[in-house]
Amino acid sequence: MMEMTVSLLPLTFLLPLAGTLLLAFSAGRLGERGAVWIGTGSVGLAALVTALVGADFALGNAGPQTLTLYTWIAVGEFAPSIGLRLDALSLTMLSVITGVGFLIHWFAGWYMRGEEGITRFYAYMNLFVFSMILLVLGDNLLLLFLGWEGVGLCSYLLIGYYYQNAANGAAAMKAFIVTRIGDVFLAVGLFLLFTQFGTLDIAELVTRATQAWSAGEPLAQLAALLILGGALGKSAQLPLHTWLADAMAGPTPVSALIHAATMVTAGVYLIARMHGIFELAPAVLYLVGMIGAVTLLMAGFAALAQTDIKRVLAYSTMSQIGYMFLALGVGAYSAGVFHLVTHAFFKALLFLAAGAVIVCCRHEQDIRRLGGLRRRLPLAYLSFVVGGAALAALPLVTAGFYSKDEILWQALAAEQQGLLIAGLLGSLLTGLYTLRLIVGIFHGEPKSKAAENAQPGRGPQHSVPLLVLAVLSTLLGAWLRPDLSAVFPAAPGADAHAGHTAVQLIASATAIIGILLGAWLFLTQGPKLARLAAEGAGAFFWRWWHRAFGFDGLYDRVLVRPFLGLVQSLRRDWLDAFCGLAGQLALVLHAGLSRSQNGQLRHYAIATVVGATLMVVILARA
Amino acid sequence: MSGIPMEHGLMVASALFAIGLAGLMVRRNLMFVLMSLEIMLNAAGLAFIVASTAWAEPHGQVMYLMVITLAAAEASVGLALVLQIYRHFRSLDVDAVSQLRG
Amino acid sequence: MPAPLPLLSLGPFALVCAAAVTVLLGIAWQRMHTVSALVTIVGLLGALVLQLALQTPDSAETPLLVFDGLSHFAALMVLGSSLVVALLSHTYLRGYTGPREEFYLLLLCAAAGALILVASQHLASLFFGLELLSMPLYGMLAYRFQSSHSLEAGLKYLILSAAGSAFLLFGMALLYAQTGALDFTGLASEMGPWALAGTGLMLVGLGFKLSIVPFHLWTPDVYQGGPVPATMLLASISKLAVFVVLLRLVLEVPTFRDEALSALLAGLAILTMIVGNLLALRQSDLKRLLGYSSIAHFGYLLVALVIGSRFAVETAGVYLITYLVATLTAFGVVTLLSSPCRTEEASNLEHYRGLFWRRPWLAAALTVAMLSLAGIPFTAGFIGKFYILALAVDAQRWWLVAAVIAGSAIGLYYYLRVMVALFLREAADASRAGRGGHWLNDTIVLVLALLVIVLGVWPAPAVDWLAGLNY
Repeated sequence: MMEMTVSLLPLTFLLPLAGTLLLAFSAGRLGERGAVWIGTGSVGLAALVTALVGADFALGNAGPQTLTLYTWIAVGEFAPSIGLRLDALSLTMLSVITGVGFLIHWFAGWYMRGEEGITRFYAYMNLFVFSMILLVLGDNLLLLFLGWEGVGLCSYLLIGYYYQNAANGAAAMKAFIVTRIGDVFLAVGLFLLFTQFGTLDIAELVTRATQAWSAGEPLAQLAALLILGGALGKSAQLPLHTWLADAMAGPTPVSALIHAATMVTAGVYLIARMHGIFELAPAVLYLVGMIGAVTLLMAGFAALAQTDIKRVLAYSTMSQIGYMFLALGVGAYSAGVFHLVTHAFFKALLFLAAGAVIVCCRHEQDIRRLGGLRRRLPLAYLSFVVGGAALAALPLVTAGFYSKDEILWQALAAEQQGLLIAGLLGSLLTGLYTLRLIVGIFHGEPKSKAAENAQPGRGPQHSVPLLVLAVLSTLLGAWLRPDLSAVFPAAPGADAHAGHTAVQLIASATAIIGILLGAWLFLTQGPKLARLAAEGAGAFFWRWWHRAFGFDGLYDRVLVRPFLGLVQSLRRDWLDAFCGLAGQLALVLHAGLSRSQNGQLRHYAIATVVGATLMVVILARA
Repeated sequence: MSGIPMEHGLMVASALFAIGLAGLMVRRNLMFVLMSLEIMLNAAGLAFIVASTAWAEPHGQVMYLMVITLAAAEASVGLALVLQIYRHFRSLDVDAVSQLRG
Repeated sequence: MPAPLPLLSLGPFALVCAAAVTVLLGIAWQRMHTVSALVTIVGLLGALVLQLALQTPDSAETPLLVFDGLSHFAALMVLGSSLVVALLSHTYLRGYTGPREEFYLLLLCAAAGALILVASQHLASLFFGLELLSMPLYGMLAYRFQSSHSLEAGLKYLILSAAGSAFLLFGMALLYAQTGALDFTGLASEMGPWALAGTGLMLVGLGFKLSIVPFHLWTPDVYQGGPVPATMLLASISKLAVFVVLLRLVLEVPTFRDEALSALLAGLAILTMIVGNLLALRQSDLKRLLGYSSIAHFGYLLVALVIGSRFAVETAGVYLITYLVATLTAFGVVTLLSSPCRTEEASNLEHYRGLFWRRPWLAAALTVAMLSLAGIPFTAGFIGKFYILALAVDAQRWWLVAAVIAGSAIGLYYYLRVMVALFLREAADASRAGRGGHWLNDTIVLVLALLVIVLGVWPAPAVDWLAGLNY
């Protein structure tokens, strides 16, 4: 029996692939209902399979194992094989991808109702799920990289989903190029590892690396640094974070699935999966934590000064992934992955609720033009409150509290007080911007016609995913904490207990202070704040944070424009001409040879005879 | 056997073959092209006979029988085609049959 | 040693012949298109099953024929390809106003010829098989005799092929003059000037059928002009069978392994790959393009012939399978798009513009075929090309390696052009490309396309099977 369920594992990615193909080749003949059914159904079935495998795993019927599916071609020593790695980590990721993914697909059927090209939407979404599952299940880095590039491609396609608007195309391109910079680092890292150890099998690689390298070995540092580069790009961490806010141009379910719950956390997964290499490079590991801390603060401030609902959520995503990086940096991999899971729940909830608001208000997503929606959209309000509470880590009752608290405690246990303080400050900021968002959307008076005339969404397609995710964002979600002790080394705080309670108290206090402060500020002091932000130093900070510390402008001036200038000036140089020469030569030869095909039978006969004569002559002379 | 050496026979056959080839290359009338083909096939047949005689062995003569069978079959299919070609192109000029090119 | 069960080994051939006779008698009695097609299909299918059942542990022989792993493999390929052609011909011919039943007769005869050819180990059977294969093809190519293109194709193939046969025969005669033997083992006994000249002339004759470069000029014209099923048969079984017999000659007759000859073959291989691909570069007619592409592919295959080791046979087998499946898929799509329109075939690339938006599955099949012919990873073509490259690298024939790579690079351009055309938004003229057909036909093509993918993604079973054949 156990053999059977585990052997079902390939279905988890084959089903979404089948969905993609069906949708792609239907050429729009399925209609909206058909597309929704196939798109959602394939992921739903994948989730079912995951549940089966997961149940077997949890019951101990199936242990961690590698399923070698097959060897592609075996010619000499070249015998690439494809295997799936089943362990607690990959299963956790798989559950998040298929489970949360299924709910989002389901919700998208409501969100995308009546949109043009819904078949295309679901084809891309299924392709994304397929690639993402390959990424987390692959037992070797090649397969992981394939999935890595696949999710990047789908992200690009879906950000640019509304391609009629040129700005969306530009956002898609930006996301693609910025993450691609990270991918190049990752690819070079893979080459380095392969030349050093001659394998890309992850388990084998880590074993060989720990044997060959001692901690702090320069090559190990370099390899870890390169892998980190890839993770930074994909997970939108400093300095490769600029694409995520613009990526919100895609449909909201896309933001929920790709740019909150799954793809952007791939960097966290990568570092967690390759932790063996990072353990050999303590300096780089420390850098991971530092980057996480800086990003979470930077994104927290930026989130405070956004006016677009989705951009607030985007910066909050960045900030929360910063927490995960912080956890990885102090060696608390398990805590990082736990936060990844709870974050997937509550951030997907927040994004879907935001989607509900946006659709109900006829695609109005500026906080300044919303407001007072509390009574008109009760379900969205409830979702926002639950999700927001989890995001701000409201003590005891929310899932977010348990995972964030764990991270802060591990930071203390690892004696990284700096990181701890950054985390606490970030948690204060989280409370503030969460409250600002909720108050701005749901309290006060409606500030536009669209907000006044909002109609609540109806039907199970709309409400069930929200309710399920809301439940998962509470305490109940924290009970789903995966047991990752078999995958990772013991966290720094595993044996220590001193100060745990103190950290919990301080963290709770910070979160509550943040929430209360936010409530006081935004509920009662709104006009004052607006005045403050409009003049003097306040205006400066507002603008600075609104532009997320001006990274876009900086990159534009320092990197993009000089590069474009360089390209422009190199457009017609001799190197280019040389490369074009081969093509020109081929065309000239083609033209010449084509004249021989003149259709004249006698010429063909003559050519044959000449060829034969030449052949015999050559043979005779030899 | 006969006093003629095998090489001489083969030379004659080769000359015959070359004549056929030349006809194939220079003749424009389809009937003559077909005849040139017959000459080439007969040259091959002659070579078989010569070799068979030189080796005093029957296989070559069997091959000759097959060659003339082939020649006959080829001629019949060829003539049928020539008939249709004439209907279409109103000419037996090989060079006119050159719509397919490029 | 008494040959074990040669009669049973001849079973598939006998079945095909029986089917041919049945079709012939049926025509004499009453013309029934579907019945003729059914007899053909059943005959070929029966022969295929019988051939599959004949897993010869040790080879059976007659003086003329040998039934070993190589001929077993080739016979399966011949029967499978003929079956596909027969199935698709039925659709194609439904739109044809002239007599239709004889087409199956010719098809069966050609298949029988190919079966003989791949098993021959004697010049007489080689000659007999080759002519039995070629002669029906003249008729099939000129089958639409109302169309001047079809007639022209038939005439060109007839004249040049007959010239090729004459070269082959004259070469045989010279070899015979040198050695006094006609069987392959007997040919091995002596070397000499006549033998070498004879070998060269035979190579001309066989090279003509394979469209090796100086003898390739007929290929595009004939591919373009002939009815698609005939072209399909020409591209599949004719080339396969001739290649197999040439491979056998190279392996068994020392004169074909002569050093000068081998060097010459290597030169021809390089020339064929490059010229074939260059000629296809800006071709706007899909059938012509496939013709040029087949020239290039047999250039790649010549590499296996030049090296001629045990591994080369396996490589050639792998390559032939992948070539056949992709080619049949491509021609299958052309057939399905051509069949219902009675006047003109869907040959020009214009017909394929935006095909994806009208017939997405067929467009997908054609895309897969093109990807495979271009040798993109995860299609069958990549596996074949990989084996060829591995073989050439292993033998350290760097010029051949370079030519294969250069040829593939040029090839990418025109295969991609076809693919791009399929996905262009504006459909040229929707009425021209045929609409709808029997679902069974679409299924055949889709199964073939799927096979291309499966062979590319999971080649191990096919490769293992080939490696296990006793040769």
